[in-house]
Amino acid sequence: MSQATPNQKGLVLNIQHFCTNDGPGIRTTVFLKFCSLRCKWCCNPESIGQRPELAYDINKCIGKKACGKCLQPPAPEGAMYVLDGPDDRVHINWDLAQGCGEETTSVCPTGALYLFGQEMTVDQVLDEVEQDSAFYRESGGGVTLSGGECLLQPDFSTALLAEAHERGINTAIETAGNVPWAFMEEVLPHVDTVLHDHKLTDPIRHKKWVGADNTRILANFKKAYETFPDKTFIARTPIIPGVNDDEEHIRSVLAFIRPHKNVVDYQLLPYHRYGETKYGFLGKVYELEDFTPPSSETMDRLRAIIDESFGRTAAGKTG
Amino acid sequence: METSLHRIAINSGGGYVPGLNAVVAGAVLSASNLGLEVVGIYDGYDGLMTRENYPEGGLVRLSPNVIENLIGSDGSILGTAARTDPFRFRTINAENFVEEVDRSDELLEKIRAEKIDAVISVVGGSALTGMHALSVAFKLSRKGLRTVCVPKSVENDISVTALSFGYNSALSYTTETLARIRTAARDVHRIAVVEVLGHQAGWLALQSGMAVCADVVLIPEIPYDLREAAAKLREDEKAGRRPSLVVVAEGAIPKNDDASSADSSQNLQEHGLRKSLSPLSDPRFGEGARVIERSGLAAETVALKLQKLTDHETFPVVLGQLVRGGAPTAVDRQLGLGYGAAAVRALDSGQSGVMVAFQPPDLKFVPLAETINKVRTVPANSEFVQIARALGISLGD
Repeated sequence: MSQATPNQKGLVLNIQHFCTNDGPGIRTTVFLKFCSLRCKWCCNPESIGQRPELAYDINKCIGKKACGKCLQPPAPEGAMYVLDGPDDRVHINWDLAQGCGEETTSVCPTGALYLFGQEMTVDQVLDEVEQDSAFYRESGGGVTLSGGECLLQPDFSTALLAEAHERGINTAIETAGNVPWAFMEEVLPHVDTVLHDHKLTDPIRHKKWVGADNTRILANFKKAYETFPDKTFIARTPIIPGVNDDEEHIRSVLAFIRPHKNVVDYQLLPYHRYGETKYGFLGKVYELEDFTPPSSETMDRLRAIIDESFGRTAAGKTG
Repeated sequence: METSLHRIAINSGGGYVPGLNAVVAGAVLSASNLGLEVVGIYDGYDGLMTRENYPEGGLVRLSPNVIENLIGSDGSILGTAARTDPFRFRTINAENFVEEVDRSDELLEKIRAEKIDAVISVVGGSALTGMHALSVAFKLSRKGLRTVCVPKSVENDISVTALSFGYNSALSYTTETLARIRTAARDVHRIAVVEVLGHQAGWLALQSGMAVCADVVLIPEIPYDLREAAAKLREDEKAGRRPSLVVVAEGAIPKNDDASSADSSQNLQEHGLRKSLSPLSDPRFGEGARVIERSGLAAETVALKLQKLTDHETFPVVLGQLVRGGAPTAVDRQLGLGYGAAAVRALDSGQSGVMVAFQPPDLKFVPLAETINKVRTVPANSEFVQIARALGISLGD
């Protein structure tokens, strides 16, 4: 089944060092491109597409007079333009710039035009990850694959995680689980900790806010708990006010996970708007324009339900 | 070779503006006189792309005796489509993956199957969704669709037309509301800072501000220094005029050397008001945290800074999208009817790939390629700007 090889290449979005919320200890998180969901609150919109995609930071543009190289072919007609007036920096017509790739970004001398996503080999990724190995040893950390949906590149993820184990690095993944079971079955043997999302309980509401219903997601997680009893699973929910910040959702997730002893925790992540900038860089519309983060009171109230279910006091100690 | 014209479809891309039904009525009445049939497509192209979601089939036959009663009505008989795109149509594949696929060929085939010879699309303007609708029409035209576009904008920012329909209604409502706010603010001895639409073009802020003789008007085209605005408010007060109203377009930007905004970590000229003065514009809040786009920040930020500079109590008010609703004014009714009728005339005379444009005193037809990627902004030395200054309105410069 596995096509994994040590020289496997994958489409990598970013490698982020010293992460403390992506699994145990201090970790290096590798973000892979491609996602099968469209969460309206997504903070990594640059990770969604299956291919490298055009991005633009107007603050780095030096303008038509000083440069203007992107205003001519190979850029498609009308894709880049300059408005009348004193500001001669380039703007992007994202509808006409669809499909622009390296041939378009390579002409930009300042890096204003660039691509989200690049091909990397397992060795290239792990050589960078290994630079932090001292921190992993001290903190019990390791490498975490995130995304996008890291399970949508199953061969690359498998090769990378297997090689990480070979190098003595602890492994974790972040997944939303909307993949064929075969992908999960291929990757999970090489994972120490599985951080998995329960975004919404109701399948219709799940489809409205996330783009697809959660029937297969729940089936995958249940099968994963049972197929890999020795793996550590941690359930997570991004708390979005007015969407899933209700006790009913928290209790339904607890009902789903608590029968499985290998699901050791359920964590809540308060919604934030840090990814919003990137929507502008990609020419995408951020649909939750007027949403605000949940209050600390809401988070405390919902976390108390989880603590009670896991037999912990509010301070997080076993009661 | 183009087929003869028998059946025309009409739809609306982008969001609602007052007068949409008037455009539809203008097209239907005009087509009827030429013996042509008109059908409406619901919600942009959704009525054709996802007919299964519409119990009545996604298309509606538009007859003159029905539509003429809707000329002055609120709402849109055809609906709108702010985010749908036949070139990136969101769907769920067999693997339950959400993906965006190009279904433009399928759309063109459906148009042919419905024996629709041409499409009139109401589109505009420069904001992301409006530009998007125009670009979609442009791309469909390049793929062979016989099409004429009608410009709509509550910001009047479409470059090729002197007046987009919807603008006059928004201007009237904004002016009326500003007058009420000013009275309320003056009554409690405070200064209202009112944010109005206008991300790149300041027409709405400038003309409504002029209409009520606001104390200060800040527009994207004229970078401001709030110290200048504050000085003007103090002068007015010394002269016995109680300051009460500041109008700020959502895209207004401060001057580079505006020390009143120097606590922002970003180069202010570079990022615009909403971006540079965002509460989270400090990089200490984390990578990617510096730009927070939400309506209301312009008013909120200017209100706080003016309060510091003037020691007058201020309060922010956001009109924003509220002014897009409502029924059309008389100007937008006749403009909408005229645009609809002219679009049919363009098609009947064999034109395609054009936008109807009001270039006084004429309605003209401009190639779509000349309409995209342009914004009609307020010239810094325009007559309107000079009149505003003559009225004693500070533009913050």
